[in-house]
Amino acid sequence: MGAIGYAWLFILNNRNMIMSTREYTIEVSFPSVLGYEKVARDAVASFALRCGFDASRLEDLKTALGEACINAIEHGNQRHADLYVMVCCVYNAQQLTIEVCDHGVKPYSGERPMADITSKVCGQTSCRGMGLLLISQLVDEYGFVQKTNGGNCLRLSFHQLRRDEVLSPCSTSA
Amino acid sequence: MMLEDELSVAIRERSGVAIIDLIGDVTTFAEEKINSAYTQVTEKGAKYILLNFRQNDYINSAGIAILIGIVTEVNRLQQQLAISGLSPHFQKIFRMVGLSQYATIYETEDEAVAQMTAAA
Amino acid sequence: MTGSDGVAGSDDRMIELRLPSRLGYEKVAMDMAASLARRMGFGADRIEALRTALAEAVTNAIEHGNAHDAEMKVTVLLTPRPDELIVSVADQGRRPLETSQTELQPQIDQTIARGEAGGWGIWLMKELMDEVEFSSVPNGGNRVRMVIYLEQP
Repeated sequence: MGAIGYAWLFILNNRNMIMSTREYTIEVSFPSVLGYEKVARDAVASFALRCGFDASRLEDLKTALGEACINAIEHGNQRHADLYVMVCCVYNAQQLTIEVCDHGVKPYSGERPMADITSKVCGQTSCRGMGLLLISQLVDEYGFVQKTNGGNCLRLSFHQLRRDEVLSPCSTSA
Repeated sequence: MMLEDELSVAIRERSGVAIIDLIGDVTTFAEEKINSAYTQVTEKGAKYILLNFRQNDYINSAGIAILIGIVTEVNRLQQQLAISGLSPHFQKIFRMVGLSQYATIYETEDEAVAQMTAAA
Repeated sequence: MTGSDGVAGSDDRMIELRLPSRLGYEKVAMDMAASLARRMGFGADRIEALRTALAEAVTNAIEHGNAHDAEMKVTVLLTPRPDELIVSVADQGRRPLETSQTELQPQIDQTIARGEAGGWGIWLMKELMDEVEFSSVPNGGNRVRMVIYLEQP
């Protein structure tokens, strides 16, 4: 095979896949200021895209990660801008595990997702329940991880081979 | 710095339906804009209100909380609320949290306006 | 942990990304920087310039500084300011960068004549960014600090 043919083969094989059988980690940290979670979300989505997750799963991931980051900013770090939120992503065996950790100024690890919106109209101060509700519906596994430094750490897992539920068509009929 | 506010809100009217266009992110920073748009159309006597979404890369639970606040007011004032223009992902999210129980979700603005005016 | 970069003022807020030294991961850095730059109000062409310069800086760190040792980290620090974005890329420096390399001024006819395509990374970074500065990190490693100005329309 000529040099050009070889180059193309290399590009095709590696187009979106930066992962091999080895396990690698990327870490993002950002100050506890609302808005910064958007940049972290985009970084993790870029990583997940290149791990081979499809578009709809990426959207689930971005929404769930956004909620986890906001809980860390608002509750765990109490919006102290000089405290950072740490997001650690590991892709291994077709599973992406993301840990979102804060400094635990206020613990919330014991909280449970709210049941539904009719049970509680979420006020401005507490959206943790709704955030956890969204997370619980969008990820394959989630749970709080005990950290020695006393911070809150929420672990989210996404499996690559999960068959997504079929979205029911829009209720547009009269 | 635009990290905070990435939403533009506009008000229009079509065949008796008050349309509130929400272009961009719907997060905690959206509260004042969305609430003031809703107040404006309500003060003009709107009975049919359509929240028309566009280019929403980011809608979060704080944004959903704002919409739930609107739903509460809409119920109190006996207005009709509908939603259009959401991506499939956020249609799924809105169903997930139960917003679809309070506002019909349409694919497009045209569909929503047609259905709402037919019901009028 | 982030918080004191030495170059940034105390009011600066930084976003930090740590990557393994593996080619391909520079794309994550490019996408993250583009996401921040877009939200700061940079135009599309400036964002492309930033992506290209950052790609060069991260691949340099992976290939030269960390010598492709995937266990070694590349650290990308983004510091948004009202009128500029500071991007710093640090490696764990097995191979310190020679001054001769940072002063390189490649000529296309010469590189073609020599039959090699490399050597353009640092030149590109300097062409595309408003400030580029190379330094050594005290505990070993190279750092490049690049600044791109936000020109208000």
